[in-house]
Amino acid sequence: MSAISVRDLSMTYRAPVREGGLRAAVASLVRRRYREIRAVREISFEVGPGEVVGFIGPNGAGKTTTLKMLSGILHPTDGEARVLGFVPWRREREYLRRIAMIRGSQPIGGPPELTVMDSLRFQQLIYEVQDEEFKRNLSELDEMLDLGSLLERQIRALSLGERMRSGLALALVYRPRVLFLDEPTIGLDVSAVQMIRSFVATYSRETEATVLLTSHYMADVETLCRRIVLIDHGCIAYDGDLMGLSATLSPYKLVRVAVSDGACGDWSRYGEVVESEPGRVSLRVGRQDVPAVTARVLAELSVVDLAVEEPPLESVMDRVYREGVA
Amino acid sequence: MRRLMRLLSAYVWRQFLEVMAWREFVVTLTINQAITPLLGLAVWSAALPGRSGISTYYVALLVVQLMTVSYEHHTLSNGIYAGEFSNDLLKPHATVLPTLGMNVAMRIWHLLVGIPLIAALVLVVGVSLDARHSLLAVPALVLAAALRFVFTYALALSALWTQQAHWVVGFGETLIFLLGGSAAPITLFPEGVRPLGAALPFRAMLGFPAEIASGSLSGAEVLAGYGWQVLWLGALTATAAVVWRSGVRRYTAVGG
Ligand SMILES: Nc1ncnc2c1ncn2[C@@H]1O[C@H](COP(=O)(O)OP(=O)(O)OP(=O)(O)O)[C@@H](O)[C@H]1O
Ligand SMILES: [Mg+2]
Repeated sequence: MSAISVRDLSMTYRAPVREGGLRAAVASLVRRRYREIRAVREISFEVGPGEVVGFIGPNGAGKTTTLKMLSGILHPTDGEARVLGFVPWRREREYLRRIAMIRGSQPIGGPPELTVMDSLRFQQLIYEVQDEEFKRNLSELDEMLDLGSLLERQIRALSLGERMRSGLALALVYRPRVLFLDEPTIGLDVSAVQMIRSFVATYSRETEATVLLTSHYMADVETLCRRIVLIDHGCIAYDGDLMGLSATLSPYKLVRVAVSDGACGDWSRYGEVVESEPGRVSLRVGRQDVPAVTARVLAELSVVDLAVEEPPLESVMDRVYREGVA
Repeated sequence: MRRLMRLLSAYVWRQFLEVMAWREFVVTLTINQAITPLLGLAVWSAALPGRSGISTYYVALLVVQLMTVSYEHHTLSNGIYAGEFSNDLLKPHATVLPTLGMNVAMRIWHLLVGIPLIAALVLVVGVSLDARHSLLAVPALVLAAALRFVFTYALALSALWTQQAHWVVGFGETLIFLLGGSAAPITLFPEGVRPLGAALPFRAMLGFPAEIASGSLSGAEVLAGYGWQVLWLGALTATAAVVWRSGVRRYTAVGG
């Protein structure tokens, strides 16, 4: 059975529209006009238990909207979803106890004057975590997130990175089975990002929790997710493993060549030059031309090194986001 | 139910501590809340000198006012506008709990801050409270507190439809002030409108417990007043539940 199962899920927002200016403002009091925004359009996908799936797509693609529907905050306009067998937007208590939704933009809700430990204790009460289990979970979280000195601090005075670490601890101390992470690494420094990444990896491995994660940092997705679901303009554009993505989406590979005899004249007869320096070049070569091009390069030049690589995910995604999936 | 009470008291305690961080502000709020009963006291004891019970009534009204204050337009409505309401929706318990917890915590703070003022008034203006009347007023006070919360909560939910929730709640407060026994005690309303004033929910939220405490009601009037309170509590709770349900449907349709 899948942990998350989504069928033809759609969300259309009705947003009031109003032109600028006083006249329009007055007119809108009398007759409101609405514009329909089709944020999510009939998407379907399944996520197996324990899977960590990257849910990616450009700004405004519908990622947050989808996560909000799956965590029960939004009621879809159409379609079905089951998470752990529950219909999310019924918001049954048994369901809400088993999930966590964490948003990188605001990792912690609740009173900011209290300490992190106060808030953890409060979570224990709300989610009915036994004392033993609470202590065990907390010490594990402490180890992974280095909470130590944070526990006695007031939430108000925490930096963004500290907030994110505390937010994760608050959300995971009750051991949710499904995690919705909406850009958990947004705005964090390099080492905080590393910590969050390895934390999510460890957590999902050890607890076999299912994770649906959005991020604009491809490195997050590369390190954490074997599989990605790509959403674009509210539709699923790709669903499959990460390696397959660049194969499907980018018709090019990167061929790096180093030659012994310095200058080589015109590289462009082999492919599009991405970057070059004396004796070294990176070429963009059409996928099906790669064998022929490498053979020609090896035959015609004195090659000291040659490597064929998938293009970096960031640049693949950049093309996809700008041009759409071919 | 036990679980609910446990969670509620945890929320109250947590919000109580939270409010401690801005206790100076609570002093300001308490003074604001005390102004209308104090004005009523000054105006009506000047207008009807020697009339027994007026000062007792207004001091009791001050206590009721402090113990029924409701700021859901700040807590709930603003939370809806800021999107924090989504966090409440994610919690595995009744969504009203955090708001109710804050409400009770604020009332406790108002009472604590108000105690010196109440004590001073009791000494200065001469209050004649007898134990029987005071005891009789306690359940009415509890009902009034519940009613006013439900009323303000329902009005504050208007934030789910409009940006004007503060205005909506403010309008409700004005009605409570005018018709609830603050601007004038219901017992001093003109003969013709008095029964109406006594039947409206605003008196049940504010003036009624103070009327009992000041000993200005007959046994039958007390009984009738309790009847109205229970009736209104049922009606307003049902209304709030309906508003809540359609509001949540709307919130979850337009997106937090
Ligand atoms: N409450 C709302 N009312 C109206 N439209 C909304 C609302 N929330 C989001 N939208 C619109 O729905 C679309 C999808 O938004 P969503 O927040 O799901 O995108 P996203 O993929 O999370 O983007 P980002 O990467 O920028 O976070 C956007 O066009 C957005 O403007
Ligand atoms: Mg988003």
